Amino acid sequence: MSIKKHLSYSLLAISAASLAPATQAANWLMLQGTEPAGAAGRAKLWGFIQPEYQATDGTKLKAGPYSGQDAIFNTILPNRETESQFNLRRARFGVRGQGFPLDNNTNYFFLAEAGNNGITRPGGGTGSVKLTDASITLNHLEFARFRVGQFKTPGAEEGLMAIHVFNYVNFTNVTNGVLLERFLKYDGSGTFVNSSGSSDSGHANGPLGPVGAFRDIGVQMFQTFKKNDWEHSYAIMIGNGNGITRSDNNDSKDLYLYWSSEKVYGGKGGRRQGWKTFAWYQKGKRTLTLEQGTATSSDDVTQDFDRKRWGVGTTYLKGKYRAGAEYIAADGMIRNGTDGGAVVGSISNNGLSRASLNVLPNDKADGWYLDFGYKIKPNIELDIRYDRYNRATEVAANERRFETATVGAQYFFNKKTRLIFNYEFRNAEAPNLAGSANPNIILDGMDNLASVQLLAIF
Amino acid sequence: MKLSVLKTLSLWLSLLLAMASMTVHAAEGSAKPFAEKHVVLQISDNDPFKQTLVLNVASNLIKYYGPDQVDVEIVAFGPGLRLLMADNANAPRIDSLVESADVRFSACDNTFAKFTKNLGHAPDLNPHAVHVDAGVVRILDLVDQGYTLVKP
Repeated sequence: MSIKKHLSYSLLAISAASLAPATQAANWLMLQGTEPAGAAGRAKLWGFIQPEYQATDGTKLKAGPYSGQDAIFNTILPNRETESQFNLRRARFGVRGQGFPLDNNTNYFFLAEAGNNGITRPGGGTGSVKLTDASITLNHLEFARFRVGQFKTPGAEEGLMAIHVFNYVNFTNVTNGVLLERFLKYDGSGTFVNSSGSSDSGHANGPLGPVGAFRDIGVQMFQTFKKNDWEHSYAIMIGNGNGITRSDNNDSKDLYLYWSSEKVYGGKGGRRQGWKTFAWYQKGKRTLTLEQGTATSSDDVTQDFDRKRWGVGTTYLKGKYRAGAEYIAADGMIRNGTDGGAVVGSISNNGLSRASLNVLPNDKADGWYLDFGYKIKPNIELDIRYDRYNRATEVAANERRFETATVGAQYFFNKKTRLIFNYEFRNAEAPNLAGSANPNIILDGMDNLASVQLLAIF
Repeated sequence: MKLSVLKTLSLWLSLLLAMASMTVHAAEGSAKPFAEKHVVLQISDNDPFKQTLVLNVASNLIKYYGPDQVDVEIVAFGPGLRLLMADNANAPRIDSLVESADVRFSACDNTFAKFTKNLGHAPDLNPHAVHVDAGVVRILDLVDQGYTLVKP
């Protein structure tokens, strides 16, 4: 090691040593991974329920091979079978605590999902209960804690924060597009035509299992250091990179890096007041089979592709005012919608293919959002968010741009029960294609989305 | 003459010792001679909310009566002794109550021994915690001295 590097590491160590580790800091790393020392029970049962209603106008596809059929973007998750529905979006129950209360150095976190969403279906099964979090944290060292198991990866704010304090019903396009991972076997380019041309093989490239839910299985080293009003946190995680409740499918492990610095104004818990700035980076490999755009599987090629994500952002909460902003970039394994904008599995009008989910393994994407909230009364908050997502930016003809302006309101019955109303003004286009091109005609049919969600935490 | 001086000195010394013992007893019972209210708060269960609650009750008493008008001692025994472990998340509040209002914290030695046995080593207690032989006995003694027992 060179003298310069050695000096740099020494200075870093000295800097860290001058900061006192916080025993229970109100940030997502600490809130979700640790317990207050000496003040946690053996097992605290908790959870939340989120019933909701979402609706669009149900505008059908206006062009392309699936013209006249349901547009996937105008149907409601997770089954994509209707333009409006009541749904039990999330119903989570869990238990957390210090299994041996005398030992403040160990704690556990367990959470399961019984709602109807991408974790439990589709791909996740037929509505079975799925484990989302199961971890043990060891807090024996002053500068590092270790969390082992399945849990949220340190990264973008929307993914890392506790979903039951999220201020909107739906994620931003960029978070949903590049971070809420769907695990696919194929790139979706195959055409599935029976050799006689009379019927198709019935194959559609759909998710192999639950969505990633911003989680991985692995080990994380993390800690928060407190100095005066400031809290500085870091996290380094290594995980399988193959989603939740599943084994790894390649020899590569994902690396997650995270840093945040927050000036704390006061309060505690998920709505602690402060101004936080953060940065994060994720890198891994995904195994994907390239179908080469043919109907036969004999020319399929399976290989590993790089998947990188990074972002930088800030959040602010003080008094009546709340704000957030984040920029996210993605390189590799870009989920590229469905064929013709149709629902996965739809048969084309000419009967020769099925709509599949597509992945661009070597493309890029980026996006950002701005978010503001204002409490007009202690129990009523108004929210507005603008998000922009640029998908598949490497090839001009493939690029798609999604813009959404969300207006919302939250009514807090009490600090554990609230009603959220959102209306999303949605717009999408293929910016490098003519307005008369099929992709733009299809995307012109994107409806706005209304949603109402009730949340109760217990 | 000499005997008279000796007698006087003995009497004086006896009186001095008697006054000293009364002062110690008074100090054991109360460090606030002008306090109008004497309260012993018991914490003896594992519930983390009870930890917060007992500290809140102490704070509220001090806030209402004033730090010199109320004498508060918190006795922790059984699972409640966790409140007085050195790394307890409520340690800063305990520091604040001691420094601002002379709240006393007593730690049951019987429970301490049990914790030591279960942990395999003696746990570090909050430096403000004073060991008492038995938490329940301490409470009874304080009640006999006129303290009001409150168990939040």
